[in-house]
Amino acid sequence: MTDSGADRSAKQILIAEDEPNIVELLTFILERAGCVTRAVTDGEAAIAEIRREAPDVLLLDLMLPKHDGYAVLKAVRGSADNAELPVVMLTAKGQERDRKVAESLGVNAFITKPFSNQDVVDQVLALAGAGAPAR
Amino acid sequence: MAVAAPIGMKVRTRRKARGLTQKALAQKVGISASYLNLIESDRRAVGGSLLQRIAEQLGLELADLSGDQERRLVERLGELAADPSILQHRIDPGTASALVSRHPDWAAAMLSLSRAVRDADQQITALTDRLDQDPALMEAVHQVLNNAAAVRSTMEILSSVEDLPTEQRARFVDIVLSQSGELSGTAERLVALFSVGNTRNRSLSPAEEVDDFLIQNQSYFPPLEDAARDLRREIRSFGQTIEGALTAFLVQRFDISVFNRSPVDADLSRFRNHCHYDEANRVLLFLDNAPPSTRQFQLARLACQLTAPDLIDAVARDELLTSDEARTRARGALASWLAAAALFPYETFLEDAVRHRYDVELLRQRFSASVEQICQRLVSLRKPGAEGIPFGFLRADPSGHISKRFPIAGLPVPRSGNGCPLWPLYGAFQTPDRVIRQLAEFPNGSRYLFIGRTVRHEPALFHEAPFLHAVMLACDVVHADQTVYADGLDFAARHMATPVGPNCRLCSRSDCLHRGEDSILYSR
Repeated sequence: MTDSGADRSAKQILIAEDEPNIVELLTFILERAGCVTRAVTDGEAAIAEIRREAPDVLLLDLMLPKHDGYAVLKAVRGSADNAELPVVMLTAKGQERDRKVAESLGVNAFITKPFSNQDVVDQVLALAGAGAPAR
Repeated sequence: MAVAAPIGMKVRTRRKARGLTQKALAQKVGISASYLNLIESDRRAVGGSLLQRIAEQLGLELADLSGDQERRLVERLGELAADPSILQHRIDPGTASALVSRHPDWAAAMLSLSRAVRDADQQITALTDRLDQDPALMEAVHQVLNNAAAVRSTMEILSSVEDLPTEQRARFVDIVLSQSGELSGTAERLVALFSVGNTRNRSLSPAEEVDDFLIQNQSYFPPLEDAARDLRREIRSFGQTIEGALTAFLVQRFDISVFNRSPVDADLSRFRNHCHYDEANRVLLFLDNAPPSTRQFQLARLACQLTAPDLIDAVARDELLTSDEARTRARGALASWLAAAALFPYETFLEDAVRHRYDVELLRQRFSASVEQICQRLVSLRKPGAEGIPFGFLRADPSGHISKRFPIAGLPVPRSGNGCPLWPLYGAFQTPDRVIRQLAEFPNGSRYLFIGRTVRHEPALFHEAPFLHAVMLACDVVHADQTVYADGLDFAARHMATPVGPNCRLCSRSDCLHRGEDSILYSR
């Protein structure tokens, strides 16, 4: 797990993604947009990390080891403390069914890979309540 | 039943080839010329020593005139006549014998062609389904898209961030180099293949067209829902009980009488679902053994057909329905749909379904309905903003054939024939009347809760056997905990799931002990 956040006013983003290169890229673009990021590489760790300290936005890959993105999303929505946590789902599947299932579970935004960096930043910042997207 | 072998033309052709008249051959084999004429025109079956003598005189082996080959051709042509793709030609299977007799080569060629068409159709279906089912392909697509995402994201950074430190720039260049530049193109090709897989195959039969029409509309028709609400309100003013009100409504509004008939007195060939509407005499007849749920439903169905024919016609004017027969079938299905909507009002039904956690048994009692009626109404709860759980629904007969299907997006159900023998749709036949639950996992990793049970059609008479169908509801596992059927099941434990497939031909599980047919996924 990485944690570069000493700045408590910056938006806290938890990245749940098992591809190291993607984690590295997401970390770069989000931190450059002024966010503080943490990353986990499986669904179980994501649930534990949210319980430990809830982020402002969860950037969640669908195909995660242990618990997949649906299970994480369901656990989040079913939790007492973090049911309202904004969740952006990131997926390489992108089929209509996945989108519908994610929507039925209460996802806030759905981004398919290959994604545009600006799209990710815009969606995350919009949900984090950061106003106009930074560049 | 054995088919008479049409060997007459073969005898005639051979006789002429040897320069024999009918009279001459008849004399040689000891029969009259007129009798030989009957044999040659396939109006008399021939066998035994006479056939032996004819074969000898014509220089043929007895096997050449046994008719076995011709009989097989006739039988197979008879099956071909029932093929849904040529039903519109209304071919009389009884004429197959004449075709085989006169033009055996053409008959054989037609069968070869039909086999080739069927094989090609199965290949197309298999290849299309493969895109959704092949785990290796799914994994490849997933990986390619991940790589493409990394390349694209990195390139965006490299091209847009000017103040990138040298070390970081080198790291990002490494990332790009570590991915194949061709992966993006591969990803696009694979995604294109998927989109081909998602395109709808042209249906062959009217029944399949109606299936597609219902699926396309997610089995939900807003204009009919509105009409059902109005109709229900009107019918309620005709009586206290629903059946009484419906009967009075039909009598007073449409001058239709409703009677019961003993199965002993009734012409059963005219009855379907225990009832028969005699339009000429404006009489609706029920068999004595019609269950109350059937009576209620059929009364409502007729009331809907008579009250809203124009609306039903308008909804059935859909580009997916390409023939008159398909539109007629669709009008029947829509009348049933409207009847269900009138009997089980949307808001009340949804509220009860949610409150009772989709317990079909409870809903069945609550609405005096059959299991199948409740299941189909559950499938139709797709009103935007007031949706129930997305359910799929299947019905199978004891031969395994799936006779009704409302798939949901993603649930791999074959377009025709049988499903996976491990589904509770089939297991239900082993324990009639009991509800069977199953957490099912498909080869592509998707998981569903399956709920199966049989429904019994009681016989009308001693001589009639009871008949079982099996029905099955299916919902994505993410919705399962909203239903009573999930109680006590552990969805987190993946090893508890039953590994299933769409059916054997389309299943990639090489280690399945229940495989009844080779998979075509890896054999081509």
